[in-house]
Amino acid sequence: MSQSQSPHTADLPSDLPDIRSPHRRVLDNGIVLLVTPNLTADIVAARLFMRSGSAWEQESNAGLLNLMASLLTKGTARFSSMEIAEQVESVGAGLGTDAAMDYLLLSLKTVTADFAPLLALASEILRSPTFPPAEIELERQLTLQSIRAQKEQPLSLAFDALRRSLYGDHPYGLSSLGTEASVNRLTQADLQACHAQHFRPDNLVISIAGRIDPDRAQAQVEAAFGDWRAPAQPLPQLSLPAVTTQPSVVQQAQQTHQAIIMLGHLAPSVHDPHYAAMKLLNTYLGNGMSSRLFVELREKQGLAYEVSTFFPTRLHSAPFGAYMGTAPENAVRAKAGLCHEVQRLGEVRLSDEELEATRNKLLGQYILGKQTNSQIAQIYGWYETLNLGIDFDERFQAQVQTVTPEAIQATAQEYFQTPHLSFVGPAETLAKLA
Amino acid sequence: MIAFPNPVDPGFRSSWSSDLKPAEMFRLENGLTLIYQFLASPVVAVDVWVSAGAAVDPLQQAGMAHFLEHLIFKGTEKTLPGVFDRLVEGCGGATNASTAYDYAHFYITMAATQLEAVLPIFADLLLNAAIPEAEFEPERQVVLEELRQAHDDPDWVGFQALVEQVYAQDVEHPYCRPILGTEAQLLTQSPEHLRQFHRSHYRPEHLTVVVAGGVGRDRALALLNQHFGAPAPMPSTPRPLAPIPRPPDPATSLPPAPRRQLLHLPNLEQPRLMLAWPGPSNEQPEAGAGLDLLAAVLTEGRLSRLVKTLREERRWVSDVDCDYSSDRLGGLFTLTAWLEAEYLDPVEAFIREQILALQQTPVAPSELHRVQIQLMREFAFSLETPGDFAELYGYAHTVADLATAFDYPSLIERCTPADLQRLAQTYLSPEQSCVTVLCPEG
Repeated sequence: MSQSQSPHTADLPSDLPDIRSPHRRVLDNGIVLLVTPNLTADIVAARLFMRSGSAWEQESNAGLLNLMASLLTKGTARFSSMEIAEQVESVGAGLGTDAAMDYLLLSLKTVTADFAPLLALASEILRSPTFPPAEIELERQLTLQSIRAQKEQPLSLAFDALRRSLYGDHPYGLSSLGTEASVNRLTQADLQACHAQHFRPDNLVISIAGRIDPDRAQAQVEAAFGDWRAPAQPLPQLSLPAVTTQPSVVQQAQQTHQAIIMLGHLAPSVHDPHYAAMKLLNTYLGNGMSSRLFVELREKQGLAYEVSTFFPTRLHSAPFGAYMGTAPENAVRAKAGLCHEVQRLGEVRLSDEELEATRNKLLGQYILGKQTNSQIAQIYGWYETLNLGIDFDERFQAQVQTVTPEAIQATAQEYFQTPHLSFVGPAETLAKLA
Repeated sequence: MIAFPNPVDPGFRSSWSSDLKPAEMFRLENGLTLIYQFLASPVVAVDVWVSAGAAVDPLQQAGMAHFLEHLIFKGTEKTLPGVFDRLVEGCGGATNASTAYDYAHFYITMAATQLEAVLPIFADLLLNAAIPEAEFEPERQVVLEELRQAHDDPDWVGFQALVEQVYAQDVEHPYCRPILGTEAQLLTQSPEHLRQFHRSHYRPEHLTVVVAGGVGRDRALALLNQHFGAPAPMPSTPRPLAPIPRPPDPATSLPPAPRRQLLHLPNLEQPRLMLAWPGPSNEQPEAGAGLDLLAAVLTEGRLSRLVKTLREERRWVSDVDCDYSSDRLGGLFTLTAWLEAEYLDPVEAFIREQILALQQTPVAPSELHRVQIQLMREFAFSLETPGDFAELYGYAHTVADLATAFDYPSLIERCTPADLQRLAQTYLSPEQSCVTVLCPEG
């Protein structure tokens, strides 16, 4: 199939007029409000980001932000857990909370008519949670169950060990769920102190997308949050230690049908100049059916069903990983293939055609990832939360267009040195991988 | 090309803007069905539905429909393996496929401007799959890896065991067999078997192509006619269908004895209690909507009966989830609880009490109203993208009738407390239930 396209891919949807650009306003109390009108459906989605996430934790209190997230909806000054559920479920809305590494998130989805009352509820939840002791005990037990349940999934077992190898004591090395020991230690006083420190209007980004006018959205946000005042003390600043780990090999024996082979490297933060090149490397290697790992290890050799890579967008040095599940008898070959394909990118230069296809794939899927109101609200709010500004949406796409094959190779050389390795599988298979 | 006179009208039930034009349906001369929906979007979704899922796997050849779904991407005489993937992804699109009991479908989402470049190759793959010898063995290994991965997932293992238990009274029921097949049967399949299967089932009269998104009507129809409109390569002969037994619809069949099984799994951290009742096929959408509401009464949200009591108050389970799914030859009402072994008996007793309560006492109007709103909103929230619309239409047309695509909210709205009570009595009797318990080994 011959496809003659201009190098700047004029056909990509990114070049179509983007009617969905966000309006940004800063309210008097410091709340950053982003509103992206999107009239297609009678839906409003909101993402409320508190700019403090699990990265604030240490080994001793790991899981604090996650426990906080689960308790926010379980009792406030005005409402019990069941009263909160009643307000959400009686209108069929979606309301959820979640702790990520770099932020804590409250997600909301309603039809337009229900948005204002649910936004008011979100305000109550973020501002006045009471952390009832009985609810703490329930959520603690559920969290301990979730920690155990991770061990049923070979992939998450492998990832957990890889993350620990990559980061050591750095907070990015901890599971956001915490450990059995740390979760058992968390108290109501810990939750209250964490809330007092981080939950304040000048630490909050509210991103709204859907069938709503920006002025109307602002009026509703001001009605719900306008009387919230930031405390006098300055916003807490997080300073994290540099990561100083050495590559290691971690093996966990389990009687599984597949062996999991996973390798990892420390990779750039979103503020790093290598970020766009690493996104391209990640796309080239592991994104989709035309990706290098998929073609070489799955299509040509039949070694895996799932073979992929990850490189999340992070405020600090992010993990890069490549992984596959394979029959135990193929584990040695799979490991060699996976390591070779990642190392190779420091040794060869991508052809112009390969780079062009990778660019188009990355940018095209980036656009396809901004279709729903929830996705739109998420991406702009996230960029604001990471101090990138909402124009990072365009800057990132422009950066991707200008990365050269030489820059990609240099990035691979710098970051893809000796890998951290994590294996899960039958003991006799692990013995052969050592 | 025939245009059908009564296009499906989303009307007031859709949350999309009121200027949304109705979807239109056409039949090409070769028998292929087209469904077209304009949406104001830079994106277009193309979703091709084939009414040949795992239910028509030949006997002793479980997994063939799913294996073919993989092999479709392996090229034709004109299109080498990998060309299509590079084409779609190289212009910023995404493609994938999936196989269920009653259908397989293949879908692309991409910039609407790329339709001319991508559609010819997509049609070629689906209509003219070559299933090259050299590609066959590596892809079989891929499917076997998919199967191994599933076997490492206790929830998949448990669900599969539960389904087999439900259909155990009729071992020839097509839903008794895993969609992925079994290793032993996959190993007996040959390229020629798969080609025959393709020739029988991937014929224009069994295909529905849905285009939804930012593409004009004339352009879409011309392209589809050009690339999907060729006459079928062979004279149409009746396709070999797997024997289709009666669905075990308890409304019409005698109740079997209650069945119970205990499985010990390695690496299991928390036991599961799984219950299932056979339900009506999707030829009875009113009953299906009612069973969805019953499932929601039991486990949708923190106010639902089982979540409220078993997780929030008594703390006997870490989660509990109820679901109703229906297919052409039958449905399945399932309930799964994640819990410690000591609570297995009291939790099952409580669940059975609650089912009995649903049979004896009508649900309060306020409770019914709450779950109705929840399910109606869920439906509205699931229709935001061109891909969402394409899937809704393709599914509706393939398993039922396109005209019913937007019926779900009104079916939900029409259900009464008496309907739910009658459905609970008809379908959720203790005699019909199957129980699978998963426990750790040792």
